[in-house]
Amino acid sequence: MTERRTIEVGALARVEGEGALHLTVEGDRVVDLRLEIYEPPRFFEGFLRGRSARELPDLMARICGICPVAYQMSAVHAVESIYGVTLDPSIRALRRLFYCGEWIESHLLHMFFLAAPDYLGLDDGIAIARRHPVQVERALRLRKLGNRILSLLGGRPVNPVGACIGGFSRVPARTEMAALEADLVHAAGEAEACLRWIASLPVPSRPREVELVSVRHPSEYPMNEGRLVSTRGLDVAVADFDTAFVESQVPHSTALHCRRRTGGPYLVGPLARIALNAERLSPGAAAALEALRPRVPSFDPAASVLARGIEVLYACEEALRIARAYEPPAAPAAAWTPRAGVGHGATEAPRGVLYVRVETDAAGDVAAIRIVPPTSQNQAQIEDDLRQLAPGVLALSHDDARRTCESAIRDYDPCISCSTHFLTLEIERRTPVED
Amino acid sequence: MRALVIGIGSPFGDDAVGLHVAERLSGQSLPDGVAVVARDRPGLSLLDDLESTPAAVIVDALRSGAQAGSVLRIPPAALARDRLTSSHTLRVAETLSLAVALGRRLPALRVVAIEIVLTQGETLSPEVAAAIEPACEAALAALGELLPRA
Repeated sequence: MTERRTIEVGALARVEGEGALHLTVEGDRVVDLRLEIYEPPRFFEGFLRGRSARELPDLMARICGICPVAYQMSAVHAVESIYGVTLDPSIRALRRLFYCGEWIESHLLHMFFLAAPDYLGLDDGIAIARRHPVQVERALRLRKLGNRILSLLGGRPVNPVGACIGGFSRVPARTEMAALEADLVHAAGEAEACLRWIASLPVPSRPREVELVSVRHPSEYPMNEGRLVSTRGLDVAVADFDTAFVESQVPHSTALHCRRRTGGPYLVGPLARIALNAERLSPGAAAALEALRPRVPSFDPAASVLARGIEVLYACEEALRIARAYEPPAAPAAAWTPRAGVGHGATEAPRGVLYVRVETDAAGDVAAIRIVPPTSQNQAQIEDDLRQLAPGVLALSHDDARRTCESAIRDYDPCISCSTHFLTLEIERRTPVED
Repeated sequence: MRALVIGIGSPFGDDAVGLHVAERLSGQSLPDGVAVVARDRPGLSLLDDLESTPAAVIVDALRSGAQAGSVLRIPPAALARDRLTSSHTLRVAETLSLAVALGRRLPALRVVAIEIVLTQGETLSPEVAAAIEPACEAALAALGELLPRA
């Protein structure tokens, strides 16, 4: 006979979207673990069908308020591969700059407002702000710079609208870029200080045997282009996504789960990017990585926060490099002609690889689209991490057990609303008792 | 700028009312040095707006259990006590709490709130649609309190 205990913990804070963690334990054995995502499906893949591919960048930006650039970039690159669009080098550079803005904003929010409270045992970012106002003000300054980049290229910082097939609807004037450059000059120093502070906190260690997957470009730190590679030898073209990964429906989640064809879960995101592209980092970011070895690169999801900090520094250096070298392109966007075909795009969202497959008809309308966000790819790995972690937390008080599980989930900075879609933690303890 | 009216909302149902109020006020003649902005779930960016002005009127939707369409004045201090709970989008109250925690000097602030009922769909409920004009008047009255008399 077993006694079952269910403990309700309320909302899991500091995660985006609606979901719950359900844990059933018998004695010290985890018998069931489900990261439930129960936010209603959003049907983006359905209602984008029949729309003009031209509309995709603006519509896709609406999937997420935090990583709109990622959705725009994966979509435009997929469509451009069908239309055979060749990008002006300045446009390519501007798209990297656009991504730098998004990485800076998204990563800093996670480091200071979502993750740091875990390390310091504080409730939230407001408590961090009260204790460490200088650090938080620095992060906010830098984040504002990310915002500025998004506004410059996207027309506004939230739901940007500037990206289009072939380029941008408007590109910055030289004077605008010079003004941004002036603001970026001190950004790397600020980013270093942010990373130093985060690295000085008691960041936990939760090493795993995990396959790390990212985009890899022949010469650049990955953002918009490259092949899909892993720490276990995977190396395929983006168009071959389906040969390497498989999505499946699980009953407890409205987000699809993604696994390797070989069966295992995998991890995408900053930790994977750094592990697979360390030699492509900018000088300052490379030096910061050297100073943090062996914590990063590593197979420890908890070290992701350090990878984020390194990437903020990278994004600041890369943004400055791009601003300095800027030559306005002859036209804001390349000309294109619609064409029927199938295209693939995989770009590096702040949380990891975002894959999009688009099928267009001859008129340039979307016949089919698949969107595979990073959090749905990470979900199986998160569950796997928690399964490993769970036996160790059962001896803890309920609050401490909850905090530890939440912190492990937050390592991935999951954006559950993106993968379809507030998280409730429910631990069901079935205690075996003698008759 | 002497004062900023910030209409806050989202496209979902009555939650858009703050955006509607900002739009209506933008079309009216306002005292010199007054600007109006509409902000769709601004999150931390609200800090930038608050930094840019000596005085601000925030217009936002509210669910307090009052009658739908009621236009209420909320003491800002009551808002700044809220806790940071969620993640990527900070709500207005949380953003104000953050500014206070950082020791930032907030602008002179008035908050006009409209009690809402619908949180989905593309249109406002009749009760809330009828509250746009009274909310504009309340925002103008709040501005009158903030602006030094000529």
